[in-house]
Amino acid sequence: MAASMLAPSRASTSSTTSSSFVPPSRQNTITSNSDGATTRSIRASKRFSVSALYLSMSHDKDIEIEDDLARVQKILRDLKSKISSQSKKNFVLEKDVRYLDSRIALLIQNRMALEEQNEVASHLDDATEVQEGAFPNDQKTQQYGNLFFLLQSEPRHIAALCRLVSMSEIDALLQTVMFTIYGNQYESREEHLLLTMFQSVLSAQFDNTPEYSSLLRANTPVSRMMTTYTRRGPGQSYLKTVLSEQINSLIEHKELNLEINPLKVYESMIKQVEEDVGELPADMPRGISAEEAAANPTVKEIIAPRVQILMNIAESFLETIISHLSETPYGIRWICKQIRSLTKRKYPDAKDQVICTLIGGFFFLRFVNPAIVTPRSYMLVDGTPSENPRRTLTLIAKMLQNLANKPSYAKEPYMAELAPFVNKNKARMNQFLNDLCEVSDFYESLEMDNYVALSKKDLELSITLNEVYATHGLLEKHCASLVKIGQDVSRLNMLLQELGPAPPQVPRKDNRTLTLPLFSRWETAIDDLTAALDITQEDVYFMEAKSVFVQLLRTLPAQSPAVRRPLDLRRVGDTAAKMKDLAMFRKGMRGIELLNQLRDLGIVSESDGYEILRDEVEQELHHLGNLKEKVIEEIGKLEEVFKTIRDHNSYLVGQLDTYKSYLHNVRSMAEGKGRKQQKQNVLGPYKFTHQQLEKEGVIQKSNVPENRRANIFFNITSPMAGTFVISLHYKGRSRGLLELDLKLDDLLEMQQNNQDELDLEYVQFNVPKVLALLNKRFARKKW
Amino acid sequence: MGRISALLDGGVGKSCLTAQFVQNVWVESYDPTIEDSYTKVINVDGRTCMLEILDTAGTEQFTAMREIYMRTGHGFLLVYSITSLSTFQELTELRSQILRIKETQNVPIVIVGNKSDLQEDRAVTHNRAIQLSQSWGRVPFYETSARNRLNVDEVFMDLCRQIMRKEIVEGTKVTKASSSTMDGQGGGRKKKKFCTIL
Repeated sequence: MAASMLAPSRASTSSTTSSSFVPPSRQNTITSNSDGATTRSIRASKRFSVSALYLSMSHDKDIEIEDDLARVQKILRDLKSKISSQSKKNFVLEKDVRYLDSRIALLIQNRMALEEQNEVASHLDDATEVQEGAFPNDQKTQQYGNLFFLLQSEPRHIAALCRLVSMSEIDALLQTVMFTIYGNQYESREEHLLLTMFQSVLSAQFDNTPEYSSLLRANTPVSRMMTTYTRRGPGQSYLKTVLSEQINSLIEHKELNLEINPLKVYESMIKQVEEDVGELPADMPRGISAEEAAANPTVKEIIAPRVQILMNIAESFLETIISHLSETPYGIRWICKQIRSLTKRKYPDAKDQVICTLIGGFFFLRFVNPAIVTPRSYMLVDGTPSENPRRTLTLIAKMLQNLANKPSYAKEPYMAELAPFVNKNKARMNQFLNDLCEVSDFYESLEMDNYVALSKKDLELSITLNEVYATHGLLEKHCASLVKIGQDVSRLNMLLQELGPAPPQVPRKDNRTLTLPLFSRWETAIDDLTAALDITQEDVYFMEAKSVFVQLLRTLPAQSPAVRRPLDLRRVGDTAAKMKDLAMFRKGMRGIELLNQLRDLGIVSESDGYEILRDEVEQELHHLGNLKEKVIEEIGKLEEVFKTIRDHNSYLVGQLDTYKSYLHNVRSMAEGKGRKQQKQNVLGPYKFTHQQLEKEGVIQKSNVPENRRANIFFNITSPMAGTFVISLHYKGRSRGLLELDLKLDDLLEMQQNNQDELDLEYVQFNVPKVLALLNKRFARKKW
Repeated sequence: MGRISALLDGGVGKSCLTAQFVQNVWVESYDPTIEDSYTKVINVDGRTCMLEILDTAGTEQFTAMREIYMRTGHGFLLVYSITSLSTFQELTELRSQILRIKETQNVPIVIVGNKSDLQEDRAVTHNRAIQLSQSWGRVPFYETSARNRLNVDEVFMDLCRQIMRKEIVEGTKVTKASSSTMDGQGGGRKKKKFCTIL
């Protein structure tokens, strides 16, 4: 679809080019030439019409423009669709891992009943990809296609459903909504529909909250929705760009203690003295009050510099966040904007501070700060931060939150030490929160996109059988309530009736991924866009002409006299029309024809060199020029994101594999009792060099002097499933320096307890990495 | 010393409850908690007890922090708001998460229905909470009003008492078996109670 590449609104949903949502100022150029009265409604959104029409003309595949822009755009599109589908896979995997995380501890303690072991095993079975498949009959395909078209194009149904479902139903629903129905995270129509749904859910929440102090505080399906939304590609990529560097450098300083709670400082002080001296001097009593600790001169001395450092760190976080304003994902800014406008509408006398507090309650409390406090769950860092950095990060998040809200030091008096930070930056923060809201709306482009979607004949959804059935089930269950809250569900009801009762979930192994063609049960596809959009034939000619000349100019060789400036559109057309290439010839002819038609209609004039059209063509070319750089830049960033998501995926898969092999052991041991022991086959020894393990991160700390490391190697043997022997050798010596027996159970337990270090005297192994290594090397087939 | 954690949903009033208990103040501001900690020395049945109270984030995006609280806390206040059914419904999952992490059925817990001053907005009946308490083996249940300072001290005292009782029972067990005293903290020293408010 060559022409769709020209469409600016299509390309602008992404996180990094949110600025391009500011409409390019090239509208209204035709207004003076046509009857303002009949076409007024479309005038306002002319800028969008152009892009949509480009798209609609894409059926005309005469010339596939294969220039650099087109090539990079294709790369970008592929990348985006890969990210979308990978995030969905991760979302599903995460659910499984979360489930198993919570069960594996019990298993380790051997306290899990056999039935439950089987249940756990069933969760592991489908870590494999879901197979492709189709509905048993065409009628069902069509009926579900109708249903999901309705759900997708009328977000109010899902919005209402989100408010009705229980917290236990919401996860499954959100998975389907965010990763499937609106799963194409970088496609403007789906993104905009999803945001429309948000708006309706948010506004209902505002209507039902009596006072603003409790607004957006509780955990509801709405807040779950926001979390899930921030976890999609653009949000992830933003957090990664903005936060990961600073967080990582903080985490490296494991010893940096920035505790400023006097009591804690005092406690660690007396602990230190006790360790050093053996007993406490008389002037250091135990169990003093917070006030006494705060008044202690030594404590004061320790805290003062820490307060300074904390303020510096927090300020640099703030600096980075503010400087990345334009890279903040459009959808997230748009939600901020909705919060602001809903607050103003619902509480007209709300002060600016209150509004900022509410915006901060979303942006910082639900998006940025959770990532700062628990960076691992947001894929920003590899390991769990150790105690000191963890506390520092918590303090930083508290400071940022204080800045967004009105801090009350009544809660923790020692936080008042940090007041200079708040006083200094309060105004900046409020300004930033307001700036976040400065994004344009998308309603007009959405309307256009929807029309275009209707005219497209290939709308489809990749969805699993169980997602279809689960959504069907939820609709069935809540349909009556939908009516109660004032929804017009006549169409929905009709579709549900045709479908009959919702089928139950199929076993995981029978689940299939389907490609569901979407189409409306009521409207037929629109062939005549002019009628649907209420625009005149002149507009269509003008836009087609623009499109044709832009394409020609992008295809003509750079040295051709026709592309010389100032542009002569007729010469461009003539040149193309003389070319041997049939497609170019036809485009050229069409261009000339359109020029004549527009001239005859009095819209452009030969005497000024078709100035209006020429200017717009130039602007478009200019815009496309910039677009290429932006696209390349965006590819770079998204590749980063994709890599993160993929790494996270291998982490999740590895985790599942570990559980799998562990479970296998437990079960085979249980079965093995009484029966003849299976033939034990010893695996290994496999040899690993120090260098190799260091590179893979298995060795996280080494006490071996640099110059000796080349002589160190490790042998790992698995005498039987679930048991490993690691021995450390020095080149030339026959006997190992050290031997360690390891049980998979122990490693898992350590991991479960967040104990990352496995001490081998000479080196320290990283537990998760060891697990991954053992898994990879000693995978025993047939679980 | 004992560590108490107050856990649960955003906006149910954990922080208000804690501030009333520790500082005798009613905090009325929109100030969501990320993690606050307090210490207070109290007298329970003639024994002095140093309480460390961890006031946790109710915002669900911070749930990744919960595990640490549950690991380190000795007792837990599970707070919901009587005006919100969903906050009440979340208690069950919280409790099972605590039991899972603690790997025991015997964890000091108090169920707290806060905002009892907002009777007209009540969404969780007294009976319903009592049923829950009974299904958990008669876990103590209170309705509180942080605003009116109603039952505030009582919930903390109750929890503290439970923690102390548990320590005594387990302490004797350990000496009787004279087996692995892995915890290693000497019996004579006054231990800190950590309390987490979830």
